[in-house]
Amino acid sequence: MSASATNTLTVVISQAQGRNPAKRRLEDDLAQALLAEPGISVTLVPHLYDMSQNHSGLQFVREVRGELLVLGWLYERAIRWTLDRAGVRGRLAETLLRTADETADEDDEDGDDSDHDDRQPGGIGSVDVPDRALWCIDFRASDKCEDFVTEIRRIRDAGQQVDVAGFDLLSWIGGNPSADQLQRYLQPERLLDARRNSDGGAASLEDRALLPEDTGRRWYPVIDYSRCTNCMECIDFCLFGVYGVDALDRILVEQQDNCKKGCPACSRVCPANAIIFPHHKTAAIAGADGEVSGLKIDLTKLFGGDEGESAIEMAVKERDRELILDGRDAVGMSVGVRQRHREQMDQLLADLDALQF
Amino acid sequence: MQQPFVFMMGQYEAQMPADRMYSKRHLWLQSCGPQIYRVGFTAYSVRLLQDVYFLEWSVDEGAVVRDRQEIGEVESAKAVSSMFPPSAGTILRFNPSLLRDPSGINADNYGSGWLYEFRPDGEPLTAEQYLEHLRTAWEDAQRTIKGQMNEG
Repeated sequence: MSASATNTLTVVISQAQGRNPAKRRLEDDLAQALLAEPGISVTLVPHLYDMSQNHSGLQFVREVRGELLVLGWLYERAIRWTLDRAGVRGRLAETLLRTADETADEDDEDGDDSDHDDRQPGGIGSVDVPDRALWCIDFRASDKCEDFVTEIRRIRDAGQQVDVAGFDLLSWIGGNPSADQLQRYLQPERLLDARRNSDGGAASLEDRALLPEDTGRRWYPVIDYSRCTNCMECIDFCLFGVYGVDALDRILVEQQDNCKKGCPACSRVCPANAIIFPHHKTAAIAGADGEVSGLKIDLTKLFGGDEGESAIEMAVKERDRELILDGRDAVGMSVGVRQRHREQMDQLLADLDALQF
Repeated sequence: MQQPFVFMMGQYEAQMPADRMYSKRHLWLQSCGPQIYRVGFTAYSVRLLQDVYFLEWSVDEGAVVRDRQEIGEVESAKAVSSMFPPSAGTILRFNPSLLRDPSGINADNYGSGWLYEFRPDGEPLTAEQYLEHLRTAWEDAQRTIKGQMNEG
């Protein structure tokens, strides 16, 4: 593949964890369909959230130039900010295929929206965002392959005439020591074959060599900087050394693997609801859009009784449990809990207004 | 038959039949045998949930459950929730027709849309007590909504 200067849309399929046949099939069908599409380069990488920062799949995605579309089994926000963490950025572009019941209907009147900024009031935003479009699509938005193909065609056809190749292979060959590792992602047909063989228990040595490095399941927070106000409540609250600050004094997830599996406590204490745990069962913690259209209201609190715990109480309990498992002392409310000036009922309850009584 | 009690959720009239007992978990309990009650969602719950399309139990029939123990999950177009028993007690039997199609909850929440049969350890609330409880619960919910909207 040469670096021909065409308007290529790179589609990256981030695979589901495990081998759920229905999910595999959708990924497979979509990849197969896109292989035949002009103007589209498609490839598969392991689950976005599970790849370590030096995984060849993430390295590959970092090398993608030009317009990029990433599909994964995560909420769009979770995809977007997991990518951001990996240094893969772009102007977030609208997709019509969303997990929500309704599509967002804000139309850009000004046409050239070179500064599409979805930042919330007080949100510190991302940094070093290149001028290219980035689409994030949740695979759960539909179970029909055609829906994805249609949307991806629409995006391709509406593409701006950017004179950039999908990826610049030559630059890897010229000096990148892991270029060989990345080659596999340029052979989607072979990748698909290898995956099918492997799932069928008949992977050849060649197949095994081609398939990307295995990923284990991971658990760590992902910060949504469009919401994060850099208030530092998370770093004060977490006692496991997950958080740190960068050279610009911006909060960051510094030691992601210090995070305690299953514990979403920092997300609960975050006043901006900016901390995502993509695999938490509560939609808002997993990165569901805070907007009314997409969010399922979690009524657990109501059905569990009114004297239930506030978010902060739950967070304190979750943290204490992890401290004790670590052989440390529980600290309860005594450490890292700020005086909050608002009601402490589950913030999701706020979305009750969506029901429009 | 005695008139049902009515609780106003904004413009919506949530009716609570007077012929049964209730729980703070927004469930009704109707006696169907010695110390055995049928349990179902009240109109308050159903109004919040709206159209239920998924219902799953995580305990088996015969399970002895604690208060606040999670016993299953319910999902509708608008909402998800874990489910909890009305109190500590024993879950005797699930409504088999809901296992096939949970929409019975919306069609007839006080009748054929019952959830399970249950032997509570304690005494359920009367309709009046539940109504009293709803007043506080509903105000809390609304106050929180307003508080957070102002912040946002």
